[in-house]
Amino acid sequence: MAEVRLEGVSKYFGRFKALDRVSFTVKPGEIFTLLGPSGCGKTTTLRVIAGFEIPEEGRVYIDGVDVTFKKPYERNTAMVFQNYALWPHMTVFDNIAYGLKVRGYSREEIRKRVSWALELLGLKGLENRYPLQLSGGQQQRVALARAIVVEPKVLLFDEPLSNLDARLRIRVREEIVLLQRKLRITTIYVTHDQEEAMSISDRIAVMDRGRIVQIGTPWEVYSNPANVFIATFMGRSNVLEGVVVGREANGLYIVDINGLRVYGTSRESLGEGDRVKVVIRNEDAELLEEDRTSPNVVEGKVVRASLIGFAIQARLLLDNGEIIAIYLKNKTTINEGEKLRIYISPEDVKIYKSLETVEV
Amino acid sequence: MVPPSIRRITGALVFQLDTPLTLLLLLSLTIFSAILVIPLASLLAKPATGISMDVVRGLLEYPYVAWPPLGEWVISVDRGDHKLVILRFKDMGIIPNTLIIAFSVTVLATLIGVLVAYVSARYEFPGRALLRILSLVPLLYTPFVNAFVAYKIFGDNGILYNAMIWFNLGYALEITYIAGVILAQTMMFWPIVYLNTLAALLQVDPSLEEQAENMGARGFRLFRSVTLPLSLPGVAAGAGLVFIFSMEDLAAPIAFKVDRVVSREIVRAIVGSRDIEALSVEVVILAGLLLVSALLWFIAVKQYVSLRQYAMIVRGGRWKPRVTRPGLPMYIVIYLAVFPLVVFSMLPQLGVLVYAFSGSWLGVLPSGFTLDHFRELLRDPNVISGLRNSVIYSTIAITLIVVISTTIAYVVSRVRVIGVGVLDLLATSPLAIPGLSIALGLVILYSIGPFKGSFLDPFSNPAVLIALAYSVRKGPFTTRAVYAGLQQVHQALEEAGMNMGASRSRVLFTIVLPLIGLNVMAGAIVSFVYCMTEVSTSIVLGALNPAQAPITYVIYEYVTAGYGGGAFIHLAAAIVTLIMVLQVIAITISNYILKFRYAFLGV
Repeated sequence: MAEVRLEGVSKYFGRFKALDRVSFTVKPGEIFTLLGPSGCGKTTTLRVIAGFEIPEEGRVYIDGVDVTFKKPYERNTAMVFQNYALWPHMTVFDNIAYGLKVRGYSREEIRKRVSWALELLGLKGLENRYPLQLSGGQQQRVALARAIVVEPKVLLFDEPLSNLDARLRIRVREEIVLLQRKLRITTIYVTHDQEEAMSISDRIAVMDRGRIVQIGTPWEVYSNPANVFIATFMGRSNVLEGVVVGREANGLYIVDINGLRVYGTSRESLGEGDRVKVVIRNEDAELLEEDRTSPNVVEGKVVRASLIGFAIQARLLLDNGEIIAIYLKNKTTINEGEKLRIYISPEDVKIYKSLETVEV
Repeated sequence: MVPPSIRRITGALVFQLDTPLTLLLLLSLTIFSAILVIPLASLLAKPATGISMDVVRGLLEYPYVAWPPLGEWVISVDRGDHKLVILRFKDMGIIPNTLIIAFSVTVLATLIGVLVAYVSARYEFPGRALLRILSLVPLLYTPFVNAFVAYKIFGDNGILYNAMIWFNLGYALEITYIAGVILAQTMMFWPIVYLNTLAALLQVDPSLEEQAENMGARGFRLFRSVTLPLSLPGVAAGAGLVFIFSMEDLAAPIAFKVDRVVSREIVRAIVGSRDIEALSVEVVILAGLLLVSALLWFIAVKQYVSLRQYAMIVRGGRWKPRVTRPGLPMYIVIYLAVFPLVVFSMLPQLGVLVYAFSGSWLGVLPSGFTLDHFRELLRDPNVISGLRNSVIYSTIAITLIVVISTTIAYVVSRVRVIGVGVLDLLATSPLAIPGLSIALGLVILYSIGPFKGSFLDPFSNPAVLIALAYSVRKGPFTTRAVYAGLQQVHQALEEAGMNMGASRSRVLFTIVLPLIGLNVMAGAIVSFVYCMTEVSTSIVLGALNPAQAPITYVIYEYVTAGYGGGAFIHLAAAIVTLIMVLQVIAITISNYILKFRYAFLGV
């Protein structure tokens, strides 16, 4: 089990700064996910670790060894490519055996190890097929088998599920987690899908415009986003603009949103008069049946209701003219035009000073 | 001290490659420097030692420039029962003649080539497939003999003349001298523009034209405002090559008895000289001019579109190109202009066959079908030695070409280092550099100093330089095929290999080459054929030691022998027929392998 450490890694493509002082440490044996929208630098980070890109600044360590300027074939990482990158002119067996042949294993040893990998991934019987004769899911497994069979120090996944259909995607991602638990190979996983990231990761690093903006367990990142970008990227939320008008003794801030007063929390320290963004997740609104007036209870008129499966999404026009989207789980029908009263716990009202990302 | 920028580039190169690939790259660079860059540099530098105001003044006088022009534009002779009109053009001296011919041929070939390509790409009509095949026939390389056929048809007492007399029209036409050269070269070279334009047209995204039509543009307006601009890179590449090929063509000036053009002047000077000191500085300057004008063209075209990119986009069938049924006027153009034009341009190739299989062809009609010329070939020691030499040189060249082209194409398309563009330029430019300039550069460089008397000295031992020159001049065909192949290999396949621990060269040999092997082979076949038919360096270097001369030199000797040339024309035609067969086989195989329309930029 190897530790992977990046220290202040920056990478330019021409004038474009693809990575901006990226630093993190992946603990031995964990699944560490790089999460972010396309173009945020997550794949570039992975390619820097694999050695396909050489950073202009910073250092990369694998297992304590500085590999920044090592060639890809000197690093003993194993990557599962987005398009699997199976060699079309080789059989499944030859694809999986390639890394072992390069490492100079004996024929007998190669046969034994490939057969172990085939067994592990349920590919027995397919060894003489060519990649084009396999289904997408099978190709995925061959790519995975090829990666683990060389016993790499680090497993790298570059959006490995994006070419699979939605149902297969969930099954394969569970298989990847189980396999990783069994082998305990340090794993770095790249995805733009926050649900995928939360379901498989031990820890997540959220990236935005070439920077790491937050690192934490899935729950930490989800429940306590470091900034508005992350708050809106993880799950569905409403962003409202307001002004801080006061602070309670218990630490809650009072924000005026266009005439509506709400109580909320902030990671930052705010002063009276600060212009802020208020983030409220769709699922954090609680529907009140009884008539109750207390802080953070708001009324609104349903302007649009649509079924999204596990809940109904309603867009509410509040008294102050703002529209927010909320999920209503225990309601079967909602009529447009209906008046609703909802409560949002102050814990779930997140207040941020600005859109600017903060250093971590 | 090595400048830091060079050190950085070398460092990056070595880092991204590995030792075997770096060595292969060094080998390629060495050959390109030794056979292309340094010889051309010495060609351009050579005049500096002997130039004087007298030389410059001399270059502005006869025979380099003739002012006022000599001779007549048109001669008409009254022969009692008919009036003979001879179209000839005036002699303006070596330099203006060459430029005027090249310019006229380029304009005419471009007009014809674009017309035929447009018709063939955008209209669906009975006989379209036939038209596409027929328009490849003029591209079959028939060194020297094709021009003699053109002369036979249009020249003095030619078939055209006799036909007009026979029809008793009251007047008759002969096209000779410079006018004849322009006509013959246009026939020979327009398919180059045609092929490049066709490839570009087939590559234009159909939705772009559909959008224009959707906006209301149609007919000629659509062609002028969208179709033509989008295919201009192809047109420009073709036109550029025609200009260069015309300048260095020897066949048409020989057949039409035009002595005063640059190409003939250079060959005459070299063939007549026994050592390098005998070469006049004027001739070197002419070869330099040839080179500079070719380079200017090449750079201009390259600015517009790189030949390399060009080769890459020649991949038919990805889109379904737009095809419409022609209207009545277009039908008339197709069947009354385009088809006759194409058939007309095939006449030289057909004429070669007539010469090869006939006992004599003095009047209008040939007489006596015979296979004697082919039997004679087998007994002719010159032919046998020439063929053997050509096969040996071409085989050596092709071995080098496969190594060099694969290395350079791979490095250019996979390695990200500043300066890789220079490699690309080296690998594709020989196509557009006049072979006569390369040949003269080689003669100058390797006959002096440490090379004098060595195995490289062209005056005693031209064989080595011929084979090396082939490998540089005809390599681009393979390089482009390899580029096209690499284009289709997803880079992740290679990264996966390196990620699994394989070095660059191991990835190249176990992953890349198995995937693009057929491309390499197809390109190598084409290169081989063009080595076998190479003219410029073959003649210039072959003349220095006829025992080592390749087959094209033998053909040259046979068509120029005798008073006015043409003494052994039937024998030469028989050799050329064999060469045509070779080309048809090679092109069929490589087209079959590559499964796409492969644009032959050269002839």
